[in-house]
Amino acid sequence: MTEQEMEMADCLVRIFENVLITEEMSLQKGYFPDLSLAEMHALDAIGPYETRTMSETAAILGITTGTLTVAVERLVRKGFVERKRDEKDRRIVRISLTRQGKVACRMHGKYHRVLARRALDPCNEEEAKLLLRMVHDVDDFLAAQAKKYNERESLRKTAKEVAGEKRRRQNNG
Amino acid sequence: MDDGAGPSNSMDTEDILEKKDKIFEDVLNMLVDKLNISPTDIHIDTDVREELMFDSLDLYELVIDIEEAYDIRLPDEDLDNIVHVQDVVDLIYTLSTSC
Repeated sequence: MTEQEMEMADCLVRIFENVLITEEMSLQKGYFPDLSLAEMHALDAIGPYETRTMSETAAILGITTGTLTVAVERLVRKGFVERKRDEKDRRIVRISLTRQGKVACRMHGKYHRVLARRALDPCNEEEAKLLLRMVHDVDDFLAAQAKKYNERESLRKTAKEVAGEKRRRQNNG
Repeated sequence: MDDGAGPSNSMDTEDILEKKDKIFEDVLNMLVDKLNISPTDIHIDTDVREELMFDSLDLYELVIDIEEAYDIRLPDEDLDNIVHVQDVVDLIYTLSTSC
């Protein structure tokens, strides 16, 4: 690894860690100490002005509806989320943010805005465009890597399921 | 020669002032409820942060209440420019008449 590559790798890992730490701390030391960062991101995924189904929200967060159900249950108890049955189709449950949830979501959005503004403020228009393009490149690369791992994971899962099914059939037969 | 612009402009101005008065009244009620203070303590030129001691939580709670009452969205960028109650009234007026 060249010195430049090492510096880049260190910076990327540190940025990732520090964003997580400061986000978590801003919640703990701020107005919403009873919200974890994962719960805050669940509020973000629902959005302050949306009414979403559980599966829509789970897809945005990249988690299963089962995992989301547990998180939503907690958020309802804490008073940040409300659940309602769809009036047209009673089988569908829709979730939205309460007033407190909306306030938390908007305030957390402000944290992201301050972060972005701090990064862009020293740049002129051209530099800002360049910086954004470079950050997008890193983002796209990591998203592609994540997608690859997810695909491999689901492939492994499918293979395991097929093997399990085959074993069950053999045992039964 | 009268081109008709005069009376119509003054009607527009009156209409704007009336709407802004109504918005001020709504904001005043929200602030009185929220801060539990007398309406006489709040004026159009009251400094929201300095005199009403608003922190970011207070501001966002007011924002959500305004958004629900007027069915509008107050963008974060516009919130940075709020200093006086007048700014809140002007922002609501602009956003609610532009929809």
